[in-house]
Amino acid sequence: MRRRAAGIQVVFAALSFLEIRKAVISQRRKRYIRDRLNLLIFLLPTIFFVFVFIAFPIGYSAYLSLTEYNYARDSAPKFIGFRGYIHTLFHDVFFHDALLNQVKFAIPYFIATFTFSLGLAILINELVFGTRFFQVLFYLPMIIPLSLVGIIFAWVLAPDIGIFDHILRWMGVKNWNIDWFGNPYTAIYCLAIARSWKMIGFTLIIFLAGLQAIPRELREAAKVDGANFLQEIFKVVLPNLKPYLLIGGIWILINSIKTFELPAVVTEGGPGTSTLTLYLYSWKLAFERLDMGRASQVAYITAAIILVLSWVLNRIFRPETARRA
Amino acid sequence: MRRLLYIWRKNRLTIFIVVTLLALIYISPLLWMLNTSLRPTWDIYRFPPTIIPRKITLENYIYVLTQMSGFGRYFLNSVVVTFSTVILVLIASAMGGYAFGVRRFRGQNLLFTGVILVLTIPYIMYLIPIYMMEDKLGLQNNWLGLILPYVALNLPWGLLIMRGAFSTIPLDIRDAAIIDGCNEFQLWFRVMLPITKPALAATTIITFVFAWQEYMFASTLMTKNQWQTLPVGIVWLRDELQTLVYGRIGAMVVLTIVPVFILFLAFRNFFIKGLSEGMLKG
Repeated sequence: MRRRAAGIQVVFAALSFLEIRKAVISQRRKRYIRDRLNLLIFLLPTIFFVFVFIAFPIGYSAYLSLTEYNYARDSAPKFIGFRGYIHTLFHDVFFHDALLNQVKFAIPYFIATFTFSLGLAILINELVFGTRFFQVLFYLPMIIPLSLVGIIFAWVLAPDIGIFDHILRWMGVKNWNIDWFGNPYTAIYCLAIARSWKMIGFTLIIFLAGLQAIPRELREAAKVDGANFLQEIFKVVLPNLKPYLLIGGIWILINSIKTFELPAVVTEGGPGTSTLTLYLYSWKLAFERLDMGRASQVAYITAAIILVLSWVLNRIFRPETARRA
Repeated sequence: MRRLLYIWRKNRLTIFIVVTLLALIYISPLLWMLNTSLRPTWDIYRFPPTIIPRKITLENYIYVLTQMSGFGRYFLNSVVVTFSTVILVLIASAMGGYAFGVRRFRGQNLLFTGVILVLTIPYIMYLIPIYMMEDKLGLQNNWLGLILPYVALNLPWGLLIMRGAFSTIPLDIRDAAIIDGCNEFQLWFRVMLPITKPALAATTIITFVFAWQEYMFASTLMTKNQWQTLPVGIVWLRDELQTLVYGRIGAMVVLTIVPVFILFLAFRNFFIKGLSEGMLKG
């Protein structure tokens, strides 16, 4: 009898123990599910926007780039594989023009932006007072829409009545009379200058951040060792600035390819095709000729160029930065 | 010693003068536009042009504000689109920033890298499918059709900044809040968001500046004149008016820049900090 009661008790105890465990587990599990659910809610807006407006478009334009699709005429994209790419890369004269223009645009743009903002950063960093004022002043073009930058430069560089031509005349250059944006030889370079006018602020931020990260003692030590200003800059400051130079360079490169507004607003790709950039060409294919397939091909080739260039830049400078870090 | 000090000082002064000169040259296109906008038309188109205006008037501004109904409409569109974008980006990036900065989950880094990579990809790649999508859904030519892609484009910056801010919050605060009986949303909203206020300000100003100046999406997705935002609308007005009205165009340019300039002055430290943080990590 007693033994039996004890046995029952043991069973009960075991049962209740299991029950409790189950309860604990289910509570833990509930908490876990709740936890995941919370996380999902927090991520929901990001996921929605990234997937609907970024991931899906990237995938879909990848598909489009393998098809032939005139948006006005065809009811559905027709799959043609890589033939479209081959055509664009090797047989499309406008694409070659756009590529060449892009290079012509990128080189002066890169040089102007890089040297000017680097020089300015070094000079502004040396200033004893007025640093804030000058910073704001040089950052100002960053907030001006690029299309308006185009309008401003079109006005400054206007033939005859533009102030730039007037200053040239005043300085004694009498018979140039160049229509800066209307001349196929100068238009792309003028666009590059206008673009770099706006970009300088961004790189200035990066370079100033880099300069401020250099320890004072390093430069003091160089001065004590008898280095003059230029030696100090080239031997001490620039090597220490290298990671920042790399980041700045990559940003300038990426932005040099993202050039749409200026040629679209000021020159519309002309005169001829002299300011047709890759971006503008892709846009024109897509929204003037409604040829979505070829437009996507150009867009993808552009993206590939950006990725390869930033990768190469990274490769060139990476060992130095890694060693330093 | 004294001589050394003297040279040092002199060097500073030279640098100051050089920077001032460069600044003047640099800002001169903008000043010239401002100058043009303040002159009457007969003074602008004189030959040879003069740098100092013979007469300063506000007539261009008055004309733009009272006679050009298009400008008012563009301004309204810009304001609505930009403010909605900013608010949506703030909400989405504050929530996403919390998830990425405080929580740990599988695929976190992959997802985040993917989001950041978006910054380097040419926007035209999204534009083509988005255009087709909005064409099918009838989102073209209304505010929503512009707001949604803008949020998506600006979200990576916001996430970068907000993740940075959230990840610097010590976990003790979180534990203390949980012990005090906060649930996760209270923890996020009441405890952590107030700490990230500077980052929120940075996100606000950066999103505002970018959304205010966007051109390509606006010009493509909004095909009707009355839905244009300022950067596109002014270009349309310029084409419509032809060339001989640069005074008025100047006035419009200045009026477009002024709101964002005021915000920029008020928030400039956040702007600079946010941008440098974003660019250095990106």
